[in-house]
Amino acid sequence: MEIIKTSNLKKSYMLGKVEVKALNGVDTSVEQGEFVAIMGPSGCGKSTFLNLAGMLDTPTSGEIYLEGNDVTNMNSNTRAEYRLKYIGFVFQFFNLFNELTVMENVMFPMMLNKLSDYKDRSKELLNLVGLGDRLHHLPSELSGGQQQRVTIARSLANNPKILLADEPTGNLDTKSSIEIIELFRKLNQEREQTIVMVTHSPEIGGMADRILHFRDGTIENI
Amino acid sequence: MSSIFFYARKDAKKNWKTFFFVIIAIAISTANIIILNGFMDGITDGFLEKNMDTSSGHVNIYPDEQDKYIEGLGIKEKKLEGMDGVVAYSPRITAGGTLHYKEKFKTIKILALDPSKENEVTILLSKVDSGETLATNDRDGMLMSYRLADDLKVKPGDEATIVFENGKPRVFKIRGILHTGLAMDTNTIIINFEDAAEQLNLFNKASIILVKLQDETLSGQYKNKISEELGIQKIKEWKQEIESVLSSFKTFREISNFMNAIGLFTGAVSVGIVLYINILHKRRQIGILKAIGMKDLQVLFVYILQAVFLGAIGILIGDALGYAGTKYLEAHPFPDPTLGSLGPRFHLFLIYDASLVTMLIVILAAAFPALMASRTNIIKAIWGN
Repeated sequence: MEIIKTSNLKKSYMLGKVEVKALNGVDTSVEQGEFVAIMGPSGCGKSTFLNLAGMLDTPTSGEIYLEGNDVTNMNSNTRAEYRLKYIGFVFQFFNLFNELTVMENVMFPMMLNKLSDYKDRSKELLNLVGLGDRLHHLPSELSGGQQQRVTIARSLANNPKILLADEPTGNLDTKSSIEIIELFRKLNQEREQTIVMVTHSPEIGGMADRILHFRDGTIENI
Repeated sequence: MSSIFFYARKDAKKNWKTFFFVIIAIAISTANIIILNGFMDGITDGFLEKNMDTSSGHVNIYPDEQDKYIEGLGIKEKKLEGMDGVVAYSPRITAGGTLHYKEKFKTIKILALDPSKENEVTILLSKVDSGETLATNDRDGMLMSYRLADDLKVKPGDEATIVFENGKPRVFKIRGILHTGLAMDTNTIIINFEDAAEQLNLFNKASIILVKLQDETLSGQYKNKISEELGIQKIKEWKQEIESVLSSFKTFREISNFMNAIGLFTGAVSVGIVLYINILHKRRQIGILKAIGMKDLQVLFVYILQAVFLGAIGILIGDALGYAGTKYLEAHPFPDPTLGSLGPRFHLFLIYDASLVTMLIVILAAAFPALMASRTNIIKAIWGN
């Protein structure tokens, strides 16, 4: 089943008076349970594609389907609702809430989603990412790799159908990067988690089921 | 809602050092309103009480428009005595004249009353600074207002001549010096009712009758009843009498409101600016909040709620400061030559009013930064584009 499908997806920005075409007609799809890596040179539209697929941004034209539903022109509230329930995000710079503890960071999306067992579930998720002993630490007390694992636990909080990761290892050392990718692999294999990951690294990309190569706002056929 | 409350609380806790100054600004604004309004109430109440105590009954009877005096005073007094709910009454004669002492003379207002009846209605005759008050059968005695006494340099025991408005002179002995804290302190002479009636040939007449009721709240009802019984149209309730006093305080009240508004504006600007800067610094965090699924309205509520937290703490501190300040100044008022003392008066509604107004202003001040936060573009916020 196609969990993500895009049709002639375009996105342009105005850079001063110059129109920059970040995406120039992307037609692609991701199957449920797939682990897909998106690769390509800087400025080729990888992150733009991820932002559109994650409903963080709206396309200039074209369509986006999530689980067969056209989400292209949804209003701001419905998009937020979709992001909360169906999509998990992992960012390059972790982007945790510094004022919340590790456990609070993970349970917060569940609180937003009005789940009642958020405490037990956040502990469970933190155990899954190997941080069961760091529940009450603040993000600033953790290493980069540990912070990224908290981000992954947070992204899984509401059992999302899709996990989108934008260069999740871009800010980590090699050892931590391998640990993160192994965690992704584990989530993909054991929980059949659909993962779409942007990366610059061929080694990291090589660990995915499939690689989408972007160039100049479109997908290259290799 | 619990998630919004949770995040707003955590975020505010994390930034307590920044918010401390906001709380202080809110507290000072609130305390300022309480103390300033307390002062206004204290001064207004003081003037009103003095007026009620010395110059007005619960109902005052005046001559009808075409008359200078109330005629048939004796019959009217009998009728008032027979009315249930009328506790006491005091007829007064007011007239003009001049007061001569040695080579000096001054234009005066003559207030003539029967001390035994007046004492049942007002405490005017107790407002004697030096000497003694006017006794019931004290013929040829007078009380002189303190400013007039200062001008003429007279003291109790001296004699002075009053020339009444009809030109008749008569010598009176100064019994005491009057200090009421009201306008009558300027140039008023109080003498016995009978003396004035005799000099002015006003038998069975009065300029005004002050009536004291058992229940002042029934003044409206008694106004009509007395009007019917006595056949007089011009009767005023105490509320009407103090209207002129209240209107003279209108300007002071406006000045006080203006000062309150400045205080509130300052508090509101501090809240607005601090929240605005905080939100600018938290742009990325707000972007993440929205990215993980927080709706625009929820983001708005986070920052409004945060302002409400700060407002509530600031208002509580301000209420305590305002209460303590008002109570202290109530116990230690400033000396004032006119009123005797000038101090605030504490009423519980001062706290309610100040709290409510400050909270509304804080919420309004937070509205723009909160709205700005709710409209944050996720992409620009997270990636700083």
